[in-house]
Amino acid sequence: MTRVAVDGVEVEVAPGATVLDAARAAGRWVPTLCFDARQDPFGACRVCLVGAAGADRPIPACTTPARDGLAVDTTDATARRVARAVVELVLSELPQAPAPHTELAQVAERLGVGEPRWPGETHAPRPADTPHPYLAFRHELCISCGRCVRACDELQGTFALTATGRGFHANVAAGLDQGFRESACVACGACADTCPTGAIDEVSLLSPPPAALERPAEVSSSDTRAGRSPAIDGGSG
Amino acid sequence: MTDDRFASTVTTTCGYCGVGCRLEAHARDDRIASITPALDGPANAGHTCLKGRFAHQFARKRDRLTTPLIREERGGVPRPASWEEALERVATELLRIRAQHGPDAIAGLASSRATNEDCYAMQRLMRAAIGTNNVDNCSRVCHSPTSYALRKSLGLSGATGSFADFDRADATILIGANPTEGHPVVGARIKQASLRGMRLVTIDPRRIELADYGVLHLAPRPGTNAAVMLGIAHVLARDGLVDRDFVQTRTEGFDALLELLPRYPPEAVEEIAGVPAADVERAAHVYGEARDACISWGLGVTEHKYGSEVVQLICDVALMCGKVGRPGSALLPLRGQNNVQGSSDMGALPDTYTAYRSVADEAVARSFEDAWGVPLSRAKGWTIPQMFDAAVAGELRAMYIVGEDVAQTDPNTAHVVHALESLDFLVVQEIFENETTRYADVILPAASFLEKAGTFTNAERRVQLVAPAIEPPGEAKTDFEIVKLVSHALGHELPWATPAEAMDEIAALTPDWAGVSHARLGRTGLQWPVAPDGTDAPILYEREFALPGGRARFAALPYKAPGDHADAEFPLILVTGRRLQHYNAGTMTRRTANVELVDRDVLEIHPDDAARLWIADGDVVSLRSRTGRIEIAAHVTDRIEAGHVFTTFHFPETRTNLLVGASSDVNTSCPEYKVVAVDVRPIGERASKTPALA
Repeated sequence: MTRVAVDGVEVEVAPGATVLDAARAAGRWVPTLCFDARQDPFGACRVCLVGAAGADRPIPACTTPARDGLAVDTTDATARRVARAVVELVLSELPQAPAPHTELAQVAERLGVGEPRWPGETHAPRPADTPHPYLAFRHELCISCGRCVRACDELQGTFALTATGRGFHANVAAGLDQGFRESACVACGACADTCPTGAIDEVSLLSPPPAALERPAEVSSSDTRAGRSPAIDGGSG
Repeated sequence: MTDDRFASTVTTTCGYCGVGCRLEAHARDDRIASITPALDGPANAGHTCLKGRFAHQFARKRDRLTTPLIREERGGVPRPASWEEALERVATELLRIRAQHGPDAIAGLASSRATNEDCYAMQRLMRAAIGTNNVDNCSRVCHSPTSYALRKSLGLSGATGSFADFDRADATILIGANPTEGHPVVGARIKQASLRGMRLVTIDPRRIELADYGVLHLAPRPGTNAAVMLGIAHVLARDGLVDRDFVQTRTEGFDALLELLPRYPPEAVEEIAGVPAADVERAAHVYGEARDACISWGLGVTEHKYGSEVVQLICDVALMCGKVGRPGSALLPLRGQNNVQGSSDMGALPDTYTAYRSVADEAVARSFEDAWGVPLSRAKGWTIPQMFDAAVAGELRAMYIVGEDVAQTDPNTAHVVHALESLDFLVVQEIFENETTRYADVILPAASFLEKAGTFTNAERRVQLVAPAIEPPGEAKTDFEIVKLVSHALGHELPWATPAEAMDEIAALTPDWAGVSHARLGRTGLQWPVAPDGTDAPILYEREFALPGGRARFAALPYKAPGDHADAEFPLILVTGRRLQHYNAGTMTRRTANVELVDRDVLEIHPDDAARLWIADGDVVSLRSRTGRIEIAAHVTDRIEAGHVFTTFHFPETRTNLLVGASSDVNTSCPEYKVVAVDVRPIGERASKTPALA
């Protein structure tokens, strides 16, 4: 077993455990965004940074193996400042605030990140794909965390999703970007379950659209096939 | 996570297949708003498939049965009735028939879709309130051969390990199963294990998706699995891959098998099964040389004339290599329905009480007589196929069918319908009208799995809690309540206020379930046998087998030809099965948006056969067997081997089971759904009609 001190609390974790595992074992909160316990650690977003005694800069908790004697500080000022900046930058690219139930909205709230201070360009809504009875894609809400791609690969094993584009235009595509319906998708829903922003969501949960969406009409009317509520009785078949 | 989109969330267990995914069911306005996977579900580990996650809209479809119905004359339209009137009609008719023809003129079917407590209540009703052992469940038509063979070879009727064993195995043989369609969450688990390096051997007449992730795919002719397993055993013995120590200390009967094996060298197997001899050798070496390995199988093994014998041969292969009873080495049958394991565990079988204890066992029968306060029959009852034969012969006069659409899913549909029409009285308890309710005199409206409490037992022997997320619609009641009301009307009280109290009775009367209680099951369930202190059994047979002497028994069983064969008149072999998007009779999935993804059954046919028969993709073809004929659209694909065709039975208008004859497993009468000789030809026009029934 490996002994780690998290904010002064000593915990024992199994060999191979990460600093994030240790922090959670100690009951301490570490913000995460690209992390899903069902997937291998990815370490892309830098929201899970924590301070480590003896290290000259914060370390990512989700990918750093816990080693014996390590002392970490989950409230390290530099780590928190970086995490807030990352979340604020991510939010600044979205055309609307993520719905309150989403992981991104909750992490932002807990970190105290409000309205982004950078009013530049935001992701433009895209024409909808061929409608799928269960899964809706709102590409403009995608933050390229890669969780949906990894869920499709590592949990389901269908490999229907792909990361596309670069920089501001980074996004996710189903198949050759022809949408869920025409891709290899088996509709297991793992992508919707892990998506931290609602970019991939259940069609039935969009209709009626959540009140938190500022511009729901142009998005949900196309993605959910206006005038029809698929999850409600009599809607289909 | 706070989520104000939902008014309530309960953790429950999926009611589709036997994987037993734990689900979070979120409700709003007394409807299911969404279902997400429980992250701590032992079988699904935070995953689900499109059935468990999305196919829940059926629960609030307008055509749900919401009031009891009584049909006054055959073929007439049933009229709504009060519960009082419906129960009175059921009791009066059943008691009249019992008085005139004796208790054995009545039979009941418990449902493998219902809870353990429902099934236990149903078998007690049949045994104590009616006085007959004529009770069965639909495991008869799927995994009864597995149950029979595991009891014969190893002792207990259940998987020897857990799905987690796939994660630890170095190799796995998957035979007669297509888990990425039929058991999607386990299919994903096997696929991930293969991607991490587990050496997967798939054996199936169809090139299933998982074949693309394995090291070897064998495509034996339907009905020749026994030859393949004997060939593998031959190579294991010939090439020194037998665990002598295990065989000597923990088994008996190996010598008889050794005497049989010289008849099955790989070349002979190639002759019988059409599998290249070299592939048989390789399969044996992949399994035999692995440190830990699993064998998993489905209905492609069991639904054959000699299905139970093939399961015994699978046990032989595992026993030869000592690959049973430890982590990563397990025998894992992929049970079909959510509670097909449990409905049989509960004694909803014509020959056993709970935990497979014989109705003829005097001590066991006495224990139930003492608990229930009535004398009980020691004579075996009828199996499902025997019930239909008896109905046609006039010996069976009434049936009480809970949650099974026998007129769509059982073989030889014309015979089943003839049987149902021959009955004096038929009660069907269902959530929707279906093919079987057409023949019912009384229809009782039941609750779906989202509307009830109790437990399901998955394919790992794991007993897991089911909790209501919404209310039953209208006047529908849970199966548990209905069976209690019927039993009361028949004069026998089922004394439990809740399913939890019924489970307490099960535990008190069943040593293998002694430690089971709803309170103890918690979020992750318990795998039977469960000791009185609550210790469960993720792995069976770690030290000894559950047979006299503690030794497993080898079975020396030669290959025998299947019940049907291709000939000049019927040159192709039809295999039937399921697709990802639909579940069995489709009663639930056809009432969801899953029909937008798949809206009909199709006939898969190999491009070579299609070209020879002038059939193009999408053409409607005539499909004729020795038993019946249907019309269906063709789908040309090389997923199926030449010489074979495949279809599903999800849509009632297809009537696939008109084609399946009476051939069945020699030990358990499980129908031979997987080998039907057929003639396929284009008809050049759209399907003209739904075939008329007898």
